[in-house]
Amino acid sequence: MTAALALEGLTKSFGKTEIIRGVDLAIGKGERHAIIGPNGAGKSTLFNLITGRFSQTAGTIRLHGTDLAGKAPFQINRMGLSRSFQITNIFPKMTVFENVRCSLLWAMGYRYNFWSMVGRSRALTEGADAILEQINLTARRDLPAGVLSYAEQRALEIGITIAGGADVIMLDEPTAGMSHSETDYIVDLIRTVTVGKTLVMVEHDMGVVFGLADQISVLVYGEIIATGTTEAVRANPKVQEAYLGGVLEDH
Amino acid sequence: MSDQITSEPTKPAQRMRAGSMVLPLAPWLIAAVALVVLPFIFTNNSAITIMNQMAITIIFALAYNMLLGQGGMLSFGHAVYAGVGGFACMHIINAEDFFAGLPLPLLPIFGGLFGMGLATIVGSFSTRKAGTVFAMISLGVGELIAACSVIIVAFFGGEEGISGDRTYGLPFFGVEFLQQIEVYYLIAAWLMISAILMYLYSRTPMGRMANAVRDNPERAEFLGYSARWVRFYSFVASGFFAGIAGALFAINYEILTEENLNTTQSGIILLVTFLGGVGFFFGPILGAIVFTLVQTVLSLQTELWAFYLGIIFVATVMFFPGGLAGLLMMHVPAWRMGKIGHLAWPYLKTLGGGLIGSLGAAALIEMVFHLRHASIGDHEMTLFWTTFDSHTVLPWIIAGVTTLIGFGICRATAPALVEAWNEANAAPKVAP
Amino acid sequence: MDLILVNLIDGLVTGLLLFMLSAGLTLIFSMMGVLNFAHASFYMLGAYFAFQISLALGFWMGLLIAPLIVGVLGAGVERYGLRRVHQYGHVPELIFTFGLALLIEELVQFIWGKNQMPYAAPDILQFTAFSIAGNSIPAYKIFMIFISVAIFIGLLWVLTRTRVGMIIQAALTYPKTVEALGHNVPLIFMGVFGVGTALAGVAGVIAGPVLGTFPGMAFVLGSIVFVTIVIGGLGSLWGALVASLLIGWITTFSKAYNLRMEDLLTTLGFTKPEAIADSPWRDLWSITSPQIADILPYILMVLILIFRPYGLFGKRDA
Repeated sequence: MTAALALEGLTKSFGKTEIIRGVDLAIGKGERHAIIGPNGAGKSTLFNLITGRFSQTAGTIRLHGTDLAGKAPFQINRMGLSRSFQITNIFPKMTVFENVRCSLLWAMGYRYNFWSMVGRSRALTEGADAILEQINLTARRDLPAGVLSYAEQRALEIGITIAGGADVIMLDEPTAGMSHSETDYIVDLIRTVTVGKTLVMVEHDMGVVFGLADQISVLVYGEIIATGTTEAVRANPKVQEAYLGGVLEDH
Repeated sequence: MSDQITSEPTKPAQRMRAGSMVLPLAPWLIAAVALVVLPFIFTNNSAITIMNQMAITIIFALAYNMLLGQGGMLSFGHAVYAGVGGFACMHIINAEDFFAGLPLPLLPIFGGLFGMGLATIVGSFSTRKAGTVFAMISLGVGELIAACSVIIVAFFGGEEGISGDRTYGLPFFGVEFLQQIEVYYLIAAWLMISAILMYLYSRTPMGRMANAVRDNPERAEFLGYSARWVRFYSFVASGFFAGIAGALFAINYEILTEENLNTTQSGIILLVTFLGGVGFFFGPILGAIVFTLVQTVLSLQTELWAFYLGIIFVATVMFFPGGLAGLLMMHVPAWRMGKIGHLAWPYLKTLGGGLIGSLGAAALIEMVFHLRHASIGDHEMTLFWTTFDSHTVLPWIIAGVTTLIGFGICRATAPALVEAWNEANAAPKVAP
Repeated sequence: MDLILVNLIDGLVTGLLLFMLSAGLTLIFSMMGVLNFAHASFYMLGAYFAFQISLALGFWMGLLIAPLIVGVLGAGVERYGLRRVHQYGHVPELIFTFGLALLIEELVQFIWGKNQMPYAAPDILQFTAFSIAGNSIPAYKIFMIFISVAIFIGLLWVLTRTRVGMIIQAALTYPKTVEALGHNVPLIFMGVFGVGTALAGVAGVIAGPVLGTFPGMAFVLGSIVFVTIVIGGLGSLWGALVASLLIGWITTFSKAYNLRMEDLLTTLGFTKPEAIADSPWRDLWSITSPQIADILPYILMVLILIFRPYGLFGKRDA
């Protein structure tokens, strides 16, 4: 079986600085994979490489076996990979409902359609409402997204990310900047909306990681030093030394 | 996924949608009736000329707002798409054999297609980026084509432009469009068609994604849409409707010159659209109506109308970036709560003061202008139906005092207005 | 050969003049990310102010004072206008400067009227500096070249050798950090805007006597200046220099040498149609290089944007 996402010898340099120094990683279908690592380890860069925001210096990225080299973000998205952002990235002036509806358009085959009315499509309206129901924002449906609370905006961001029906979902620090109760809420939300999908996430909060992921990779200075189940990674001496030791004591 | 959906009419959102099926039609019906009735109210020829110009400007401004308001693309050279559409139509009018078989009311389609064709060519490279780069390319291409009008004489007719006779077309149900009023109804019909089409376009997936790309191009890319192609399609659609406006211009005036292409023309349409308000669909309509009226009235009254217009424009950009439509829509919450009436009196006081002050200031400006530029010995000037000597002190004092008093009232009553405003927009304290 | 030298000098004058405008414009752009549409309007104000001052105090005082007034005005525009509009985003900023350009043109017409002002070069510079094969080079042109070059060197020195220049350069790239280091970044922005517009003012003062001081002068030069910095690459000072000189020489040479499209087409192997008057291509055959000199910059810009969208020296992320 081909991996949902496979990275081989991936490197990325900005000028002379090598941020990603040869990452090999295979994430199986339906796996829930967390990438952790200290600040500045290159987690976000790795994300941006995979989703086509940056282009890699060397190495290959394969999505369901297809090489993503030279593909623009929108092409990668069409191949079934969707991502959220570390900094909330929604359409603030549009209503919550429109935000979700826009994210359904391509997946529902509308493409660059300029002859059918979005308001008249039952499937589109119902689909968007169903997503809103899933992310518990039905009550906020007709408000501009920009006025929502931070946690609600994060939920909307996740809603937009999953709406297109992509089977590989990448979440960049979904709980960054949230209170404990908000975090618990978002973790539950992520768990329900990503059932049956491949989940790749970058996260700082170890509680979130252990609650959501079944596989963990530890990225330190642009290299993956360990990959495995939570238990295996927890037990790995290299990880203990480089990262987990300190953090786990805090928790 | 879909089995989770239940249509619950108790949900406020769905109830609203169910009830609003009739409402959206109302403004369109009113507009259509108004377009039919207007010539019976304003019957003289000059009024119809103004209305024709207004209608053409509305179409052009709406087309422009497809870019600026809905797509977030600022074009400094949009006149060329209307202009080229118009020039093309003029050539069709002059192609006697072809035109004799073509009913005039169908001509704007050709204008639209030519505008669209040009937009396709230019858009293919100009829409790669939004923002400043797009604005600069639009300016450069606009200047280039405007400058070409003197060089490519075969198409643009050089300095004198090209003209033709619209009445040689195939009579349309017996109508030959000799009369201004017949042209009015032709333009009005195209106004309705284009406005409805542009409105519907904004409701299609492309229209929605144009908004999405305007607000957050990167996010749109991660939803599967290429920001560039979304911009491109908006640009092409806008070019089509601009071409229709150009064709109607050709029909109405029967002459096109370099003036239809140049940056001034492009600047005017930007001004009209922005004054009206880019945030709402009806903004440009409002802008075109107000602009045409103000231009007609002011330019008859004063040489300095462009100066006043410049001041109004800069003030709008600085203080009311939502334009007229934005100002109007600000009052919707107070209207909904039924408290709009509380604003009337404070508004009257402050705006009345402001109006008096502005008129006083305008009088001062006019007098300075007269003092500086009237021919030597010409001391007499007429202002607000009063004739006086601009070299005496009294008029200056009157104008100065009026200005001070007017703005004084404006300033003194402003806090009360702000208070009334806050009061009118405060949420009701006790839930009903 | 001599004619080439004469044209080189003429093109240099035009190019350096363009550069004085585009340098300020490109500095302001790289700083605030907004193209100041009204930049050429400040150039016009420079000319008009200098003319007014020269009536009372003579040319040299005009050269000294007018740019200062223009710079102060520019700083005021930044402080009370742009900074306010900035919160609405880039597009309203551009629209604001566009409106300002319209307003300044109307204002100039309001004060000075629509006719050209009799603003002339000072008598002391009214002589022929030298002649090349019968073509006299007026001293004023040499003076213009000196002023432009002096300003360019001064600008380069300030930007690269002084502390203020270092802070400006840092503020361009990392405004937040520089602000955190205790520098007043809004003040720096205002200063750079003021200096940029003052440079445009200087250009106006020295160009007014040659190119004419009339209400349309901003418009004539304005769009060429934008084209220049787009060709050079938005935000690049060197790009602005190269593009300015390029445009200066291209337009001068194409005006000086009457190259005909007919000759070019014939050389390429096309034959001129017999009935040229009726041919749809008649305008193509009759094109001459002086005729299209003024639109060459636009053509160049479109070509550059198609093949090198970031300009000659532009950074990809600009």
